[in-house]
Amino acid sequence: MREYNTKSNIAFKTVVYAIMVLVLLVCLIPFLYIISLSLSDPIAVVNGEVFVVPVGFSVEAYKQIFTYPNFFNAYLNTIIYTVFGTAISLFVMTLFAYPLSKPHLRGQSIIMKLVVFSMFFSGGLIPNYLLVSRLGLINTRFAILLPFCINTFNLILLINFFKSIPNDIEEAAIIDGLGYGGILTKIILPLSGAGLATVGLYTAVFFWNDWFNSLIYLKSSQFPVMLYLRNIVNGTTQLNNGGGSSAEAASLSMSIKAAVIIVSTLPIILVYPFVQRYFVKGVMVGSVKG
Amino acid sequence: MKVYLTRYWQLYAMLALPLALFLLFKYVPLIGNVLAFRRYRPGKSTFGTEWVGLYYFQRFFKDPAFWNAFRNTLVLSVLNLVINFPIPIIFAILLNEVRSIKFKKTVQTISYMPRFVSTVVVIAIIGELLSPSSGVINKFLVNTFGIEPIYFMNDPKYFRLIYILLDTWQFTGWTAIIYIAAITSIPQELYEAATIDGAGHLQQICYVTIPSIMPTIMVMLILNVGRLLSLGFEKVLLMYTPANSSVSDILDTLVYRTGLANQNYSYATAIGLFSGVVGVILVSSSNFLSRKLTGESVY
Repeated sequence: MREYNTKSNIAFKTVVYAIMVLVLLVCLIPFLYIISLSLSDPIAVVNGEVFVVPVGFSVEAYKQIFTYPNFFNAYLNTIIYTVFGTAISLFVMTLFAYPLSKPHLRGQSIIMKLVVFSMFFSGGLIPNYLLVSRLGLINTRFAILLPFCINTFNLILLINFFKSIPNDIEEAAIIDGLGYGGILTKIILPLSGAGLATVGLYTAVFFWNDWFNSLIYLKSSQFPVMLYLRNIVNGTTQLNNGGGSSAEAASLSMSIKAAVIIVSTLPIILVYPFVQRYFVKGVMVGSVKG
Repeated sequence: MKVYLTRYWQLYAMLALPLALFLLFKYVPLIGNVLAFRRYRPGKSTFGTEWVGLYYFQRFFKDPAFWNAFRNTLVLSVLNLVINFPIPIIFAILLNEVRSIKFKKTVQTISYMPRFVSTVVVIAIIGELLSPSSGVINKFLVNTFGIEPIYFMNDPKYFRLIYILLDTWQFTGWTAIIYIAAITSIPQELYEAATIDGAGHLQQICYVTIPSIMPTIMVMLILNVGRLLSLGFEKVLLMYTPANSSVSDILDTLVYRTGLANQNYSYATAIGLFSGVVGVILVSSSNFLSRKLTGESVY
């Protein structure tokens, strides 16, 4: 397309670029602010002298949080829920999605209707809670790992992904005497890296970020790091610093809060640049109505 | 039949476990909604013990707390829709005008990062930024205008504004992906023809881009209207303080409080069911309207 550098074109471009730079700043500054809070001199933090550049570099807050047994415990819990939750979820959803990607299979269409209907109308908070409670899962880690193993949106993503794999490969395999179990493990799964990665990432983010389900289903020793952070923020958990005057403790607690935010979000921020193209692929496939 | 099963039994075997889990965790709670019409007794069936008809519905219709939560839900979601529905569209259109591919990619990638950060972290960060004692925003206001620090997170006046701006921050980039994809698929010839006709940037946007992505906009609008009653419950719950409860108590938090905190299971289920049914009605009627008016529909 030809571009004319007329006055109005230049004005238009300037406005567009200014808005985009603004968007960049608005997205990044909150993170930079917290990073610089966590690395600044605690006194400067309390006095509100810190913005996006650390004032008086200090890693005291990070040293402190690594001495909290509860923080370690919560972090470990989060890793457990994320790893096992994602593994269980991928296993169950793969087994579910593969047969459902075969429209000719008898019963497939009725199950698909049930799946789609559950997206529009579902049991509310209380029926879900009572079910988990009746199954005896309260205060067990399975209360987090099992009820959320099938996410309807992710399931449909996976079904659409399996549908997009050409049928001829399967037909050839059937002629060679391979059963559907063999086809799934030997042919479909090796071809489904991108689809499984997308769904796996969504699932992992869900488990990593969850706090509400842990709040209603688990006891405090099983709390994940996000619930630990929420309890610090709303004052349920007091940060106790070993020794030091109370003013000193109060000043450090702000930096510690910032450090907890950073450490608990770090995996997502670190992994994010490498995996974001999968996220985007996911939202695109999901938006195609199947 | 026998031949069919010998050929396909492995597929049915695969289905068994996931289907059982699916029915257990999606459909048992769905049927569990009958609790709204039945009395619950601790230790007895999770589906309640005896029918009480519309008793719980009549009770909450008389409850001022319900009407307060209902109004708060509607006001917050309508405001949120009006403000946050157009923003991703505008963002997508403007981003499309950026010619440098590298800059475009950078902006896009960073713009959807907030979507992947936990709501807890989002609230923690905004709490720090708005803190009356040490937050930069209050520091700035106090130093510039010489006013007293504002307790943003506690003041009912600011609750809706903060909620909506956080939604903008979290979801603009992410929601825009769909519009960006729709814009990318517009044939370039349309723009060339418009340029030959002497259309400037703004005219191209108004007469080419927006009409071309109208179907996408309509589908997204239907979906959003359908979700009108289901606000970001976790975010509201995290922002809830006794001081701002007059505006921050929405239907979901009411269900949570009466159900789980006070254990009025049937009563809370009735409110939850009411909001679920209204949601279904909203999505089907906006879908119907859209099909009549624009020919676009979700299903």
